[in-house]
Amino acid sequence: MSNAPLIALYGPDDTLAWQADGARSAGEFLSDVAELVDSLPDFPSVLNLLSSRYEFLVGFAAAMVRGQVTLLPQSRAPQTLRRIAGENGDCYGLTDRGDPVEGLPCVALPSGRRRSDRTMRIPQIPLHQQVAVAFTSGSTGQPTPNRKTWGALVSVARDTGSRFGLTAGRCRAVVATVPHQHMFGLEASVMLPIQHGLAMHPGRPLFPEDVRMALEEVSGRSVLVTTPLHLRACVMAGLKLPPVEMILSATSPLARELAREAEERFHAPVNEIFGFAEAGSVASRRTVNADEWQMLDAVTLTGAEPDWSVQADYLPRPIRFPDRIAVTGHRRFRVLGRMEDQVNIAGHRASLGDLTRKLLEIDGVQDGAFYLPETGHAPLTRLTAVVVAPGKTHRDIQRALRLSIDPVFFPRPLLLVPRLPRNETGKLPREALRRLVEEESAHEC
Amino acid sequence: MSLLALEREVAALIVQTLKLKTDWSTIHPEAALFGDGLGLDSIDALELSLAIAQTYGYQVKSSDPEIKETFSSLRSLARAIEKNRTK
Repeated sequence: MSNAPLIALYGPDDTLAWQADGARSAGEFLSDVAELVDSLPDFPSVLNLLSSRYEFLVGFAAAMVRGQVTLLPQSRAPQTLRRIAGENGDCYGLTDRGDPVEGLPCVALPSGRRRSDRTMRIPQIPLHQQVAVAFTSGSTGQPTPNRKTWGALVSVARDTGSRFGLTAGRCRAVVATVPHQHMFGLEASVMLPIQHGLAMHPGRPLFPEDVRMALEEVSGRSVLVTTPLHLRACVMAGLKLPPVEMILSATSPLARELAREAEERFHAPVNEIFGFAEAGSVASRRTVNADEWQMLDAVTLTGAEPDWSVQADYLPRPIRFPDRIAVTGHRRFRVLGRMEDQVNIAGHRASLGDLTRKLLEIDGVQDGAFYLPETGHAPLTRLTAVVVAPGKTHRDIQRALRLSIDPVFFPRPLLLVPRLPRNETGKLPREALRRLVEEESAHEC
Repeated sequence: MSLLALEREVAALIVQTLKLKTDWSTIHPEAALFGDGLGLDSIDALELSLAIAQTYGYQVKSSDPEIKETFSSLRSLARAIEKNRTK
């Protein structure tokens, strides 16, 4: 097989998306794509900044039909966009009307435009065609481009769907709080629905009430694609959500306690995806049941302790895990922590990720992180921990930590804070954490 | 409660919830909360909405036609809370 269809498992009249003006069928979607294909300029790549998830998909599909690569900017900050545009040769912006990017040729997609009645057969896209470039998150260093083929996106979408038994008979729609210009967002909120005949909600609900309304706007049971940050907000708001078939979370580790609360409140399994921009989604787990991750079907582990990589037909070469993992069984692994977050304190080795995981398991801890201060050549560096645990005291947390970590890693200081400076995708940039620790330490002196 | 007193209360709630290193009494009631003003972002808005729901029983939603106005300044946020509060 050298091609895969743009969309799969829809009849022409099946709903592919909900728009403000009503349902958009698979046939109408193809008309929208056909209409746009001819109006795109002749550039090799496109910055697709469209805010509606559906319009983004129309732009993404039209670009693929034209053989253009879609660039997925991490943020809309003008300097980020200019940098991406500068580093990727000739490209143009695809934007909402009235929202151009300075210094970039732009095509504005008129909202509420007249719908055409052109017809188009479902395009077959070559699996090896390069269709998107995702950029690695800034929290791990300098952003670097990661090129994605159509084959990689299709494989991940199909394997994720079969892992969770997502068929149009069982659920009907996907509602997502994550940006579609993000790797996980593209995979789970755009590719997953269009490869399984599901309908997508075009919005990006932020507040818990927005999530509730979005789930109500789509008919039938939905998959909610989200992050630990939004999930915590939905749990804390105490809302009653419409029936959800499944919740899919990624971008930062989900605390087991939060997963348990979310499952109880929303009567749906909460599954977590493990992935990284270089390889895309590679494994999943149901957080309440398992520490272990199970590889997606097309992905295999290669290498040996401690240097593991993932391999797949659609990847150009084996790609090294950004985390240290322990292989625990056939196609199963546990994440021990990030490579670069290894700490060595008085001869004791641990990873900040592992310590943070233990911190998050403490009853009453909503969020938290271990942090290694930069102290130059001081003989003994102690770790710092920042913890969000309303109603808990330092002593409560310390007592619980004593049960799970070596005393050498006890945080000094342990800072109780109202919240952590997580960014839009739920990640905790090291620089923001450093500033928080600095401010809080000064405050406590 | 007068609107002025509510403004003060909401200012303190913002500072406390978002852990701003700002004295609540220095927040100008008509200055922008997001972007150039206090520099809040969408995650702050999410955190703030939880605190507002818990304190005043008002569930903020983006589909509210006045949502931009609501979050534009301390004064407009206090007005929206006054109008929509259930506790």
